[in-house]
Amino acid sequence: MHIFQVSEFILYFNDAVRSFMNEQQMAIEGEVAEYKVSQQRFVWFKIKDADGVLDCFAMLFSLKQPIEDGMKVRVYGYPKIFHRSGKLSINIARVELVGEGALKRAFELMKKKLSDEGLFSTERKRPIPRIPERIALITSPEAAAYTDFLRILNNRWSGVEIHLAPVAVQGRDAVANIVGAFRYINKHATQYDVVVLTRGGGSMEDLAAFNDEAVARAIFSSAVPVVVGVGHERDETIADYVADVRASTPTNAAERVVPDRRDVRFAVTSRVQIMEHVLTRAMERRAARLHQSLGRLSEHVGGVVRRVRSGIESFQRSGIRFGIAVQEKNTAVSVMANHMTLGMGHHLGRRQERFVALQRLLASLDPKAVLRRGYAMVRDTGGRVVKDPDTVDVGAQITIQLAGGSLGARVISSSGQTSLPL
Amino acid sequence: MPPKTDKKFHFDQAFTELEQITEWFEKEDIDLEEGLTKFERGLEIARKLKERLGEVENRVETIKQKFADVVEDDSVEETV
Repeated sequence: MHIFQVSEFILYFNDAVRSFMNEQQMAIEGEVAEYKVSQQRFVWFKIKDADGVLDCFAMLFSLKQPIEDGMKVRVYGYPKIFHRSGKLSINIARVELVGEGALKRAFELMKKKLSDEGLFSTERKRPIPRIPERIALITSPEAAAYTDFLRILNNRWSGVEIHLAPVAVQGRDAVANIVGAFRYINKHATQYDVVVLTRGGGSMEDLAAFNDEAVARAIFSSAVPVVVGVGHERDETIADYVADVRASTPTNAAERVVPDRRDVRFAVTSRVQIMEHVLTRAMERRAARLHQSLGRLSEHVGGVVRRVRSGIESFQRSGIRFGIAVQEKNTAVSVMANHMTLGMGHHLGRRQERFVALQRLLASLDPKAVLRRGYAMVRDTGGRVVKDPDTVDVGAQITIQLAGGSLGARVISSSGQTSLPL
Repeated sequence: MPPKTDKKFHFDQAFTELEQITEWFEKEDIDLEEGLTKFERGLEIARKLKERLGEVENRVETIKQKFADVVEDDSVEETV
């Protein structure tokens, strides 16, 4: 028989009860009522069923999910008598939502909360590279989602590295695993072009981790852009909303994250073709301009030839006084000139040759060459060439220039004829 | 693992460069000498891209890490 003081009894009672009634041993299931939060830290609510009601107390930070009146929950904790009031309360370590309805409601609440905070904002969504080199993949390697993702990826693209971060995608460890994986990837952010977070479809309970606040925040603060692909088209999780890119399924995630190699191959080839085409046109334009220039050059050379020819003609006229027939030379020049003009467009290289030939021809019409054929040039005492007998007096001194030298002579007589018999 | 910021060939960057070069070519009147230089560069890029396109496999590696608690020393090992 023991006599307790009041506070002593309360302490004893709390200790004793806690040893076998605690969060490891048991949970209490019921409906939430009169939920309220005081000073942004302390949560009070009642949990009840048809026949009974219990008071509950929790710290706000230990509630991982939003709770509302009417939700069916399981509370894990221990009962204790509060010293001040003498009332019994369940001191809660954690709360689980029970049933589709509760989960849906919590989902709606969380969605609104995070949306209001701006986690879903389209402005902050980052573009993913069109062609990644290295992908971080967060998923369960045992799940069908993993094999589906890899299969479609391999069909579409090659040469990419995939680093798999194996996680549980549902159950107790899922949230910690996924958050931990993001933490790892952030530490090595420069290595990865994109993160893919994916799993197959399931019930709301199965998808709970993908509606979890911690996972949502991990996606939001990921240094690498995140593609989320969950289950089937109709499944919508909070992770989908926070993602930089939302894929409808694991397969769709593979489609979004790498291109189809056929498309890329075509794009490369067509670009090369465009460059070739434009370059060819540019070269054709350049060739056309060159052709024009050649045409003008041809005209220019033709002009030179004409000048040469008229030079020869005046030479011809003076040649007649010497009795030189240069007729045949002119024909040769004509022929050569024709060749030059015709051949200009195609044989520019041989222009040099032609000019040399022309030079030689002109050289052969040189007076000195005439002298070498036996003709003589007569000069007076002033050195002037004598063409007319009247320009020198009888007895005047003259110089006769021959090919090999000159003779000094005196005029004996003059006959006054201005042309020699041809 | 070499970080993607080193001199390793990055497909996306190369492809973007090829697109930029092609854009330059779509101007009305291009300078021939500059065009030839750019064309050479474009061909080189295209050749490298085609080479990468010819690769047959993707490589999968598993990160050996307990993700419940991320510690400082982590390692990446290859799986089949």
